[in-house]
Amino acid sequence: MDIKEYIASGLIEAYILGGLSAKESAQVEADIAANPELAVIVAETEATMQQYAASFAKQPPPNLENKIWNTIQEHKTSKRNTNTGSAETEILPKTKHIPFEPEYRKPVQWKYAATIVALIGSVGVNMLLWNETKQFASEKTALTDQINQVRAEQQKIASELEDYQKGKNMMADTAMQTIVMHTAVAGHPMAATIYWSKTDGAAYVAMNALPAPPKGMQYQLWAIKGGKPVDMGTLPNSMANSPTIQKIAMAITSSEAFAISLEKEGGNPTPTLVYVLGKTT
Amino acid sequence: MNEFTTYNEEELILLLKNQSREGFNYLYRQYSPVLYGVICKVIYDEQTAQDVLQDVFVKIWTNINQYDAKKGRLYTWMLNIARNAAIDKLRSKGEIMNSKIRTGENVVNDLERTGMVEQVTDGIGLKNMVNNLKPEFESIVNMAYFQGYTLDEISKTLEIPLGTVKTRMRNAIKQLREIFNK
Repeated sequence: MDIKEYIASGLIEAYILGGLSAKESAQVEADIAANPELAVIVAETEATMQQYAASFAKQPPPNLENKIWNTIQEHKTSKRNTNTGSAETEILPKTKHIPFEPEYRKPVQWKYAATIVALIGSVGVNMLLWNETKQFASEKTALTDQINQVRAEQQKIASELEDYQKGKNMMADTAMQTIVMHTAVAGHPMAATIYWSKTDGAAYVAMNALPAPPKGMQYQLWAIKGGKPVDMGTLPNSMANSPTIQKIAMAITSSEAFAISLEKEGGNPTPTLVYVLGKTT
Repeated sequence: MNEFTTYNEEELILLLKNQSREGFNYLYRQYSPVLYGVICKVIYDEQTAQDVLQDVFVKIWTNINQYDAKKGRLYTWMLNIARNAAIDKLRSKGEIMNSKIRTGENVVNDLERTGMVEQVTDGIGLKNMVNNLKPEFESIVNMAYFQGYTLDEISKTLEIPLGTVKTRMRNAIKQLREIFNK
């Protein structure tokens, strides 16, 4: 071994600073034991690190000294108690007295080195796992958001599809008749449409060309039966002037005509001002 | 205890082995600032640092029989106990979150913090001189000595070759020695 090269490599310093693995430390310790020149470097490096550590000296809070002394005393007391316990058991018959022999302890340095290496490994892995978990968590959140978005879109599409299906069924129903209601107010071109199936009484309404009602007013649908208007309920204002088709809640089995009138909000028992009217066939 | 009484390491070890109060008082007054300073270099939270200091004294007190003078000075032995206890604490579950070790960012923070700690530390008046330690040396020394990084980890964290880490360690110690011998 080239001692000069060995010293120049910085291995001794790495050893003192605690940067070596247990295996590497063991090798360095063996090398130190075999080479007195190395021991000199070790002592010098240690002295330097002592001075370095001392440069960070900081007075602990004044109450700590007593607190620590008390803790130490508690430790002692609890140890003594255990000893008393074993002394009592020794009084019991047939208990062999085993003389206390100090437990042989290996130099503690090894344990520290091994512990630190194990800790470093474990911490490294934990940090990796922790980071991964964090990453997974944020990825999960992003995916959940995406899924929710897709789900909402899907629901929208499903409900649209249902509407189309309904519309398609409605149109495919040969019994369905289309009744265009024409304006009943001279000079105001207005129109609305009723799709009505006499066979099952299903009816749909669309206010294709009706102006948005004034504030506090609402459109109301009527079926004319035996010359008399029968209330079919008020229509949402949002439907005005739009192609939206709404199913009429009640089944209409017979009707001579349909009409939509403008009424106060909530509707009236009889029509006040009929806007559009269309006869059935 | 007479405040002017001084003991050498051998005498102190004997006092400690005899579990004497005087031994504790001397030990505490003589070494607690350095041990506390080392712990505070590792652990940022003062309350936790004080808990660790207490653990360290309990360890020194109960394990004094395991100290082997042939393996090095008592001072080094105690420094290592303090360092290891602090690093252990740092790596225990709760502390790791607080101190965010093992990120490049932390190395920078640590450098910044070093200045901060030294502002409150003026024990031996070396702070200004230690500040002269080249930053690339300081980070490596602190990573190994105060944070328990291995050579491998330092090499990977700082992205410098393993051999460079070792030579920088050697040069750092050299520079420190020059600073202290001025």
